[in-house]
Amino acid sequence: MPDRRFFAEIAALIIAATLCAAVANAVSSRERNLAWAGEYPNARVIPQGAPAAILLPTAPESEPAPSPAPDAGPESGTAAGAQPEPAATPAATAAAKQPAAPPPAAKAPRFTLADFPTTPSHPAVEITSEQARALYQLRAPFIDARRTQVYEQGHIAGALSMPVWESDVDERVVGFYEEGHPGEAPIVVYCSGGACEDSHMLAQKLWGLGYNNVLVYKDGWPDWQAHGMPVERGPAR
Amino acid sequence: MLRSPWLTVRVQIALGVIFVAAALPKIVDPPAFAQMIYNYRLVPGFAVNALALVLPWLELLAGLALILGIWRRSAAALVGAMLVAFIVAIGINLARGHAVDCGCFAVDAVAKTPAQLFDEMRWVVIRDIGMLLMVAQIVWATRQPRAETEAAEALEPAQAHRT
Repeated sequence: MPDRRFFAEIAALIIAATLCAAVANAVSSRERNLAWAGEYPNARVIPQGAPAAILLPTAPESEPAPSPAPDAGPESGTAAGAQPEPAATPAATAAAKQPAAPPPAAKAPRFTLADFPTTPSHPAVEITSEQARALYQLRAPFIDARRTQVYEQGHIAGALSMPVWESDVDERVVGFYEEGHPGEAPIVVYCSGGACEDSHMLAQKLWGLGYNNVLVYKDGWPDWQAHGMPVERGPAR
Repeated sequence: MLRSPWLTVRVQIALGVIFVAAALPKIVDPPAFAQMIYNYRLVPGFAVNALALVLPWLELLAGLALILGIWRRSAAALVGAMLVAFIVAIGINLARGHAVDCGCFAVDAVAKTPAQLFDEMRWVVIRDIGMLLMVAQIVWATRQPRAETEAAEALEPAQAHRT
């Protein structure tokens, strides 16, 4: 019967495609691998402006922000245990091809960590470019949510890599948690700016682990480069 | 004329090549394609990754079947079903004003303005309708009793040679 044959061929094509996908995914590298069941709570929600976040008021521009010295103040001291080293690690240094430019501290507004209170009811709070630069000087941890390949081409100096679209992101997030980063200290997450939502998705994961001061640097990597802030190239630490 | 084997062979090869070309970048980088599917905001979260893994292989196998002339009616029907799904997905997002990168032939994130994306989406719908017409030609041309199909397939090389 032709109809039966027709549908059997369609079923065979679908089964063959599924088998090929399973084999290809099983042998693919970590960066190309996907978990079969996705975990995207907002997969059918159209983002409207600032999704699930509140904007903090921008502090007035005033005196230069403190230099990124280890003894920059009590707030910096609080954050010091929860931050990556701004300087390149040996691995990053070996791979770094672009020297870190000095941060334009003279133009940065003055902020302290007290300007970034915890927001337990929100997965993330969006921050401005100025606030991100100030937090960098206050040595808050920065986390890059973009793909590994893009991260290796250039990222904020000292930023950790947690690519939300790669299969081991949950392990990386849990690893960060197990390193003992305090849940109240500000953590800055970023991606490619514009309509990029990877940082919000990563913020949701961090919030789920009890981090209630996750700050989304919405303008992200392009803005960071545009301001001549310190960057690195090379693989994640 | 529209049912001529000469035309059908060329249409199915052209459609097959298009689908193979569309499948390869997605097979190479499933996470990037998953991100494209997610951006459509139509697929339930649990199904995004599975679709990103299977759909490109379905495109590849259906495309190869068309190029090789194997199971061409079934392959054309599958391609048609995929095209209808793509048209509906883009149409819904056009209707609700949500700009998305179609992710049809490339999965690299390229910065585009919403206006550029909307223009591209309209063009994609037109292009997909065009490909749907190609599918219709294949299905129509191959829709006949098996005896006639086999006779036509037997004549196909001779007719192609004559033209």
